[in-house]
Amino acid sequence: MAELDIAVIGAGGIARVHLPAWTALGARVRLYAPDERAPELAGAHGATLHSSLHEAISGATVVDVCTPTDTHRGITLAAVAAGAHVLCEKPLALRTADAQEMADAADAAGVRLYPGHVVRWFPAYDRLRAVVAGGGLGRIAVARFTRTGCYPAWSPWFADPARSGGILTDQMIHDMDIARWLFGEVVRVHAHQRGHLAAPVPPAPVATGTAVLTHASGVITQVVGVWGPPATPFRTTFHVSGTDGTVRHDSLASPALRVTGTAGDPEGIPSGDFGQSPYLAQIREFADAFAGGVQEPRVTAADGVAAVRIAEAAVESARTGRAVELSTSVEQSTSMEGIVT
Amino acid sequence: MRVAVLSFAHVHATAYIELLRDRDDIDLITADPDAPPGDPERGHALAERLGVPYADSWDAVFALRPDAVVVTSENARHRRLVERAAASGAHVLCEKPLATTEADAQAMIEACARAGVGLMTAYPVRFSPAFAALDRSLADGSLGALVSVHGTNNGANPARSRSWFGDPELAGGGAVMDHTVHLADLMDVLLGGEEAAEVYAQANSVLDADLAGPGVETAGLVTVRYPGGVVAAIDCSWSHPADHPTWGGLTLTCVGERAMVEFDAFPRLLGGFDSTTGRGRWEPGGTDMDAAMLDEFLDAARTGRRPRPDGEAGLRTLRIVLAAYASLRTGRPCVLADVQRVAS
Repeated sequence: MAELDIAVIGAGGIARVHLPAWTALGARVRLYAPDERAPELAGAHGATLHSSLHEAISGATVVDVCTPTDTHRGITLAAVAAGAHVLCEKPLALRTADAQEMADAADAAGVRLYPGHVVRWFPAYDRLRAVVAGGGLGRIAVARFTRTGCYPAWSPWFADPARSGGILTDQMIHDMDIARWLFGEVVRVHAHQRGHLAAPVPPAPVATGTAVLTHASGVITQVVGVWGPPATPFRTTFHVSGTDGTVRHDSLASPALRVTGTAGDPEGIPSGDFGQSPYLAQIREFADAFAGGVQEPRVTAADGVAAVRIAEAAVESARTGRAVELSTSVEQSTSMEGIVT
Repeated sequence: MRVAVLSFAHVHATAYIELLRDRDDIDLITADPDAPPGDPERGHALAERLGVPYADSWDAVFALRPDAVVVTSENARHRRLVERAAASGAHVLCEKPLATTEADAQAMIEACARAGVGLMTAYPVRFSPAFAALDRSLADGSLGALVSVHGTNNGANPARSRSWFGDPELAGGGAVMDHTVHLADLMDVLLGGEEAAEVYAQANSVLDADLAGPGVETAGLVTVRYPGGVVAAIDCSWSHPADHPTWGGLTLTCVGERAMVEFDAFPRLLGGFDSTTGRGRWEPGGTDMDAAMLDEFLDAARTGRRPRPDGEAGLRTLRIVLAAYASLRTGRPCVLADVQRVAS
């Protein structure tokens, strides 16, 4: 792993998680961010601070794009042009065409592009995938996913749909990706969103989204996203039903450690259960591939493009009030093998 | 007061009969003449097992001039019994869904209005004290404006014990017909009777494919949008395993601008494990919502006031279900054309 030179771009929430993961794997890390927090972050993790994107990217093995979503395309294309592999935080882009362009550019340059759909590494979702793929639920009929946290008002770009895509794209794409990973391609999407959907937001904003995904396999999935009032604890749930039973999860139900008695701040980024951090597990899997490993990671650029496609359809549905049909003739993802439907 | 329970077709009939039987103020009579002969879960056999008086025909039960009736026949057979009860001057509590078509529901409402008797739709969950507290917290502003809700009403497939639930002619559909209405009624309470503007539904028949008739959906997701903007995302699936210790459950999560509230109509009181059955222990908590619902019905019948939820509430919630089926046929959201828009 010491062969990898990683250029982390950004100094926000996700960079703060990725950077220590890279250093834990023994990579050399440089950091560039037009952000006053960058020097402190670089100093805390022994990263080299660079003063321009170009300088940070030059000679890097991997560029880790941890910036607001609307900047993903430009930074990724610059990184690919410089011959670097790319880990790009989810969503790959706001529009499918942009995400596809990024994937095509990486292909053409012979470098790898992976989207940071980290929920695939969270233990409950990883285990759910094993249960479903192993046939443990029989034939799947219906699933629902919820994702709830406080409104990400700590950084103003989340509230701006032109920068983040809003709750449907920024937050609910996590469970859209999981649903597609588990139940296959999505052929129809219907969605609504409500609440404070544009920047600037008032104090204590709230936004919610609901989406119904229809999979080519016949499975139907409900995705609910909540950016709640300020004291909302981070929580995810799912419930999946098949002919051989159900499986359910509630991230707050059975913690390995429960702390009470403090007026704790809600966290923006969930930590996994004890044991390996899902962020570290994700980066380790990507790092192996970047270092030339033959094993494809569990999420590919094509998966990232497909997730953006679902989210973009949800945004279109919420805007037009129509159900949006998606053709399945797009490229097949290798991650669909072994699905029991 | 003389109360007649008409038909044991619906699985809820037994609970109503037991509650009415155990009250001092009720003279109970039952009838189930359309029961399949020899069915131990129906007709005279069930009445005998429950220790309640039984009449052998509709004529016989109506000849006893009941003051009020509880109609628990197959969904599509509600109208006939409700109209007859109204004509005989009896107040009516009708099992949900009120009917399987809008025409039937309208006819039942009109028949009861003409006869001057009350018509109540059997939605027990709104009688939960926890739900009443949720409703109050919305009304008094402590939740803030309602943004959206998501709710589940999952149960084991009722066709397992009553095969007509798998017959679209008698049931009017499958899980979407059976389970959407309970959550739609809670929304009816929270939104003060605001009618839905648009409904989107997706469904499949993967679960219990052997039990349901062709095309009867056993899993469904229904999204309802109200004119004021509130969105309700509902899972109405018969996805609860038949060998689970409970029949199923109902939950509703409300996201307000100031707080989130999660309502569980059937909270688990005790857990654990039962080694004699090899299954998880699940002792349900909560309150007896059926008893509270019957209290409301009997009080309204006694005083002549309008019961809540009334027939119109049953019709409003039925319209949501019928729109869900229209959406299932087209694959598109169904706009409720005749919505009487309520200013938000």
